[in-house]
Amino acid sequence: MSDASDAVRRTRSVVRAPQSFVAGLGLVLLGMFGLWAASDLPRGTLGAMGPGMLPHWVAIGVAACGSVLAVTGLAREGAGLQTTGLRGPLTVVLAILAFAITIRPFALGSVASPGLGLIVAGPLAVIIGGYATPEARFRELLILALLLTAGCMLLFGDLLNLPIPIFPTALIEAASGTIPSRVMLRLAAGALALAGLGLLALERRSTRRSRTDVAPHAMTT
Amino acid sequence: MRRALAIGLLSALGAFGAAADTYPQRPITMVVPFAAGGPTDVVARIVAEPMSRALGQQVVIENVTGAGGTTGITRAAQAAPDGYTIMMGHMGTHGAAPALFKGLKYDPAKSFDPIGLAAGTPIVIVAKKSFPAQDLKGFIEVLKARGPATNQAHAGVGSVSHSTGVLFNSLAGAKPTLVVYRGTGPALNDLMADQVDFMTDQIVNVAPQIAGGTIKAYAIATPERSPSLPDVPTTKEAGLPGYEVSAWNAVFAPKGLPADVRAKLTAALDSALKDPATTKRILDLGGTVPKEVEAGPAALQALVEREVARWTPVLRSAVEANP
Amino acid sequence: MTDLLANLGLGFAVALSLQNVTLCFLGCLVGTLIGVLPGVGPIATIAMLLPITFGLDPVGALIMLAGIYYGAQYGGSTTAILVNIPGEATSVVTTLDGHQMARQGRAGVALGIAAIGSFFAGTVATLLIAALGAPLTRLALIFGPAEYFALMVMGLAFAVVLAHGSVLKAVAMILVGILFATVGTDLETGQERMTFGFGFLTDGVDFSVLAMGLFGVAEILRNLDQTETREIARARIGRLLPSWADLRQAAPSALRGTAIGSILGILPGNGAVLGPFAAYTIEKRLARDPSRFGRGAIEGVAGPESANNAGAQTAFIPLLTLGIPPNAVMALMVGAMTIHGIVPGPGVMTKNPNLFWGMIASMWIGNLMLLVINLPLVGIWVRLLKVPYRLMFPAILMFCSIGIYSINAQPTDVMLIAAFGVFGYGLIKFGFEPAPLLLGFVLGKLMEEYLRRALTLSRGDALVFLERPVSAVLFLVTFTILAAALLPSLRRSRDAVFTEA
Repeated sequence: MSDASDAVRRTRSVVRAPQSFVAGLGLVLLGMFGLWAASDLPRGTLGAMGPGMLPHWVAIGVAACGSVLAVTGLAREGAGLQTTGLRGPLTVVLAILAFAITIRPFALGSVASPGLGLIVAGPLAVIIGGYATPEARFRELLILALLLTAGCMLLFGDLLNLPIPIFPTALIEAASGTIPSRVMLRLAAGALALAGLGLLALERRSTRRSRTDVAPHAMTT
Repeated sequence: MRRALAIGLLSALGAFGAAADTYPQRPITMVVPFAAGGPTDVVARIVAEPMSRALGQQVVIENVTGAGGTTGITRAAQAAPDGYTIMMGHMGTHGAAPALFKGLKYDPAKSFDPIGLAAGTPIVIVAKKSFPAQDLKGFIEVLKARGPATNQAHAGVGSVSHSTGVLFNSLAGAKPTLVVYRGTGPALNDLMADQVDFMTDQIVNVAPQIAGGTIKAYAIATPERSPSLPDVPTTKEAGLPGYEVSAWNAVFAPKGLPADVRAKLTAALDSALKDPATTKRILDLGGTVPKEVEAGPAALQALVEREVARWTPVLRSAVEANP
Repeated sequence: MTDLLANLGLGFAVALSLQNVTLCFLGCLVGTLIGVLPGVGPIATIAMLLPITFGLDPVGALIMLAGIYYGAQYGGSTTAILVNIPGEATSVVTTLDGHQMARQGRAGVALGIAAIGSFFAGTVATLLIAALGAPLTRLALIFGPAEYFALMVMGLAFAVVLAHGSVLKAVAMILVGILFATVGTDLETGQERMTFGFGFLTDGVDFSVLAMGLFGVAEILRNLDQTETREIARARIGRLLPSWADLRQAAPSALRGTAIGSILGILPGNGAVLGPFAAYTIEKRLARDPSRFGRGAIEGVAGPESANNAGAQTAFIPLLTLGIPPNAVMALMVGAMTIHGIVPGPGVMTKNPNLFWGMIASMWIGNLMLLVINLPLVGIWVRLLKVPYRLMFPAILMFCSIGIYSINAQPTDVMLIAAFGVFGYGLIKFGFEPAPLLLGFVLGKLMEEYLRRALTLSRGDALVFLERPVSAVLFLVTFTILAAALLPSLRRSRDAVFTEA
């Protein structure tokens, strides 16, 4: 896990194990944050422990561990810091947020997102999330999104019967009465699956024709 | 594939074209503010099934838990009042909550259109087997004499066992030490193991233990004895007539329901409670089915107002005295 | 003995009816399915399927629901091994060595050992319930709050041993886990703790949310960093089933795991959750070369998996004999039973012998079915690893999001997995292990409850933990474990300091 070759080694500087040192500082900060967050809670006595007793002492413990770790980081040779790209974490967080906000109406202050259901939230999560790696290709992700969403609609909505919103709320209200929800679910899932399979067939054909130009072409999409 | 797409498109268009005329057109969500499998959830599921049959659409249970049930009720209260979101309220969420939750975003008496009472669950006063008292009077005497030396179990602030327990203490003049448990299961375990002295809880939870002889019951807090515990006297018989409580469950809808929708829901609940299989299920659990005078929206509205007025002073003073 | 045989005979007669066997199979199948899907737990599924069971007779309904429960336990370890996501607290440990084995191309062996170990444990646990169920309940009553507190502290000591890196970092992670566990409404006073006014934090953080973030999302982020190693691991598939040598190596661990899991499962205060951790600790202690653990040791899968399944099975003892549900799924089973008009409690065994013995017999049948369902599936699961990672992780993301949403229907829960994912990624980058954090989180919640309860009952006298014999013994064991874990590392670090100087 510790990628020594990637690590920035500073043997001569004061901090001899940057990883431990920074990790320790982080723990100290977390501990202090915990202390602050629990500071307004009554700690009580041993016989009648208040809600603040445990958080208080645990936060102190975290900070103590952190300071020891930081000190060892100064005293002893150890691993350096590891580099990270930002693309992965940012994109993945964005994908999850997109899912959370669209799955059902979500109010943040006075602004509320429309509930779009799994049929929108699912593909959003897959396609946005897919771009976390530079190897992402739009068409491939689209096919995956269509097929997975169709599968999940059938699996969660139909088979397991979980109360998860499938369609946009507006659509459900508009469609109520004309078509039973189960039938609508199956029809929509079927349509998605067919679209996905169709695209897959097209993709297969084009890859067979010219293997080389697909990847670079897709990279720019 | 083109054909499938065409069918999909057509059906979507058709869906937009047709207007909804008669309620209900699609499944109805019943929000249960407690975890699946608990007493309220069980009542909701028992009632939802015959209601679905009466309405011709499925009543789907959605468990939204949190903050003593107020999370789910808040969410349901804010839903559109179109009859597609209803909820199973409870003594706690529509009676005790205003006293316990400062920032409560709904008013039990004003934010809802009541549909009707679904079931009541009597409260039983139970104690460990070795408790040195023969009847309720003797029990209260021992409690008073010992003061904080006795331990009373409950399942957390806002739970039925907490509210009803606090009410019992104030009526009986007892001041035991309160011991908190996460749920009544562990509390019962410690009652059986002699770790704590007594508690008040719903009959569903304690009846098998009483029948099995692992704990004993002093009284049941209903006007009449329960068929599941015929030997246990009522509080009136045992000498504490003021202590009559039941953990009731009732169906509510968000405020502003169209009159016809409300009538349909009321009728559906009514027919569900007249279904012999359903009543048998509720009675088997030791619960009670609402009598004629208790059924319907008006009676429920009156009940909610009575309950809020009853719990608010008792719980406020209890929470202040023992923060 | 003749009684036992007669009872088991009655049980098998009930469980082997065509209807009940079918229901058992269905339950196991659905359970495996939802267990494999990250995030979707048995709780949501059992709740949703409850109304369907209305039409069945109670015995059949409960056999099916029980099948879902242990099927999900089975399926959960599959996800833990393949994609490093523990579906439940009890499969956290399986990720440690199971997923390492998968990375080394031994996913099939790991899955096979998990299945066989679980079957063995299930068989033993079933016999145990049948033979000793009633007398063992007395054990439940010996354990009061003080004993449970001691047990939880012992569990935290296991967590220190669990880590294969720095002991200091492991301790820090446990404390952070406990700190996270204290977020939410205080059980005793109803006061909000460290929620910063956020409504979605009032009930604290859900275990699945934390686990999905720290393991699922963080693992994806880590894999995105290292493109090359990932592809190599994918290319090597290796054996599909364990060899004789593997089996021989794993057998003693499975035996020990079964014993530990069975005993802890009987405790109604959710003792089963400790089973896998305890089993792992013991395996690591007994191993000739403990450094193999955390790098794909087969004993590290066999022991905890057996303990997990044994515990899942014996957890039915407090439910059936006392009517006390030891965990959330069992609480749901109580609900299912009451809906069917059977109130679990001391009377079930005599009043409904059909149900009691039928369920016990069906557990064994269910375990056999799970083996039959799961062994052929191993091939399919392993082939899933061949899917290119750039397609695999968006799918995992979507399944995690749906699963987490289905637990409480809260979009904020889904957002939290992103936050914990980034946090977990940071932890990995700084050389921390997430497993002790998760254990601290699970046990911290219970520990605080038991501590406060014990001290309330003793009116603030902390000596109660040493005065009660069972709790005193448990503290002694904890002390020994900690000393054994800490001393060598202290010595090592001293040596390291000296050699550097």
